[in-house]
Amino acid sequence: MNPAQPYLFLAAALFIIGMAGALARRNAILALVGIELMLNAANLSFVAFWRHGPHPDPQTGLMFALFSIAIAGAEAAVGLALIIALFRHRRSVSLEAAESLKG
Amino acid sequence: MAMNYLDLARLAAAEILLVVTALVVLSVDLGLRQCDDLARRTRWAVALGVAGCVSAVVILWELVPEGAMPAGMFASDALTRGVKAGVLLLTAGSLLLSRGIRFTPHVGEYVATVILGAVGMLLIVSSENVLILFLALELASLCLYILTGFDKRSAQGTEAALKYFLFGGMAGAVLLFGLSLVYGATGAIEFGKIAQGVAESGVSPVLLMGLVMVMVGLGFKVASAPFHFWAPDAYQAAPTPAAGFIAAGSKVASFFILAKLAESAFGPAMGSSAWGRFAPGWSPVLATMAAMSMVWGNLAALMQTNVKRLLAYSAVAHAGYTLVAIAAGGPEGLSAVTFYAVTYAITTLGAFGVVGLVESATGGAELDHFAGLVKRSPRLAVCLGIFVLSLAGIPPLAGFFGKFYLFLVALDGSVGSLGLLWLVALGAATTCVSFYYYLVLLKKVFVEDAVMPERAAPGTGVESAVVWASTILVVLLGCFPGWILTPLRSALMAVGW
Repeated sequence: MNPAQPYLFLAAALFIIGMAGALARRNAILALVGIELMLNAANLSFVAFWRHGPHPDPQTGLMFALFSIAIAGAEAAVGLALIIALFRHRRSVSLEAAESLKG
Repeated sequence: MAMNYLDLARLAAAEILLVVTALVVLSVDLGLRQCDDLARRTRWAVALGVAGCVSAVVILWELVPEGAMPAGMFASDALTRGVKAGVLLLTAGSLLLSRGIRFTPHVGEYVATVILGAVGMLLIVSSENVLILFLALELASLCLYILTGFDKRSAQGTEAALKYFLFGGMAGAVLLFGLSLVYGATGAIEFGKIAQGVAESGVSPVLLMGLVMVMVGLGFKVASAPFHFWAPDAYQAAPTPAAGFIAAGSKVASFFILAKLAESAFGPAMGSSAWGRFAPGWSPVLATMAAMSMVWGNLAALMQTNVKRLLAYSAVAHAGYTLVAIAAGGPEGLSAVTFYAVTYAITTLGAFGVVGLVESATGGAELDHFAGLVKRSPRLAVCLGIFVLSLAGIPPLAGFFGKFYLFLVALDGSVGSLGLLWLVALGAATTCVSFYYYLVLLKKVFVEDAVMPERAAPGTGVESAVVWASTILVVLLGCFPGWILTPLRSALMAVGW
């Protein structure tokens, strides 16, 4: 068995849990948490492929994971700012409060 | 693999200049904040931003050498320079459209965000490494989320921005996971080395999974169905100049990189989307998205009463036409996609310019607000008419030639022997459907009487100039497509495709 396999199964499971959360949760903050979980699943899979793959380019996978952690931080900042802006208008962070646009 | 920072500074001179421009805009705005005259601050911020974009174009042609950084982190050649110049001019156009902004007192931040978004788009265009591609895409997207929700007083704008952000964040995560699978299957993140790895190992299930996820992630950025849900909301509720920027500049960069990535990184895993000869790869994925976009976009546009939403669904349909040529593959495909994306972006930017002017005169962008436009301002009505006919694909306008070229490439491309005829037939049929909603808009403008009271519009000379410039370009590029096509083809030859 490829030693990377358990990590990849874990990454796939995290990704699916995150996606289910992002799609099904009605609370904007929990949807954001789901997205972060998806990004972290991708990081885990990068590191697993880097550690157990043939890795001809020594640090590529690790670098990718580091950069995407930084991106996740920036994304959370913008996301929380938008959630606060929504809260100021609707007094709620529920996504059900945000459905005036349709069609 | 030594990296020379001086070389990088020379290759990325245009991007560096833009970042400096954004900082200058912010500090000048800070200095002017004391005088508290919004019109004056807007004038300064927009003038500085446009000057930055235009001088970046000059620098691109005069100073930036051809070359590439190691590991494909930054590539500069005739092709990327041309596309970048297009993105920069579209950015300058959307900045000029925002000269009359009333929706926010933070003009400096607005202009700086637009410029930083443009930097992200330029980096997308010149990336030949999926890590840089991901970072640049996120930079551009984060700026676009902020721009969508920039009008904090509007509850709808905030709501649209949050939806755009949540869908966009998910698409970004799907793209990242796909890239990790591609990295696992090929052990590389450079376009060229990925192509080598794919050619050696063949299309494994892991690679196929990664490919599909990457295409889904990028399909979101170009607003192709079924990943287009953000587009109508964002177009409708974002400030109109920002919506023009989202619809024009970001589309050019995303379509270009989607075609380039498919061709130069995943070329060996193309598969086939020819009727009856399907083979797994990225081509059938894109063909499916193209078919869904053409049908869904055009049918949903039939039911719209808001002109910005109508333009959004028409954008979904146009994404479908463009994906047809990408699914056909080959250098001709890239040339057709670039031509179409650029002409489409010019048309949409102009259309959003007209929508913005009508909005500031009548207070809305519903179809009724456009009724009787020809009597109020005949010149504006003629411009809108030309844009809409170009979107519908009527000769001799740019939209006709672009669409014709896309479909020609699809029939004659590397797939060969009319394999993509099913997609082209679908495209032609849905184009006929699209005439209906374009003509409904034109009927409102040219035939019906005004139903909305008109307010005195503030000074709009600059906005009208942008609209006129786009109109002239749409007509001229339709009559003389060679102006873009000849340099585009020689650039493609020079790159070696």
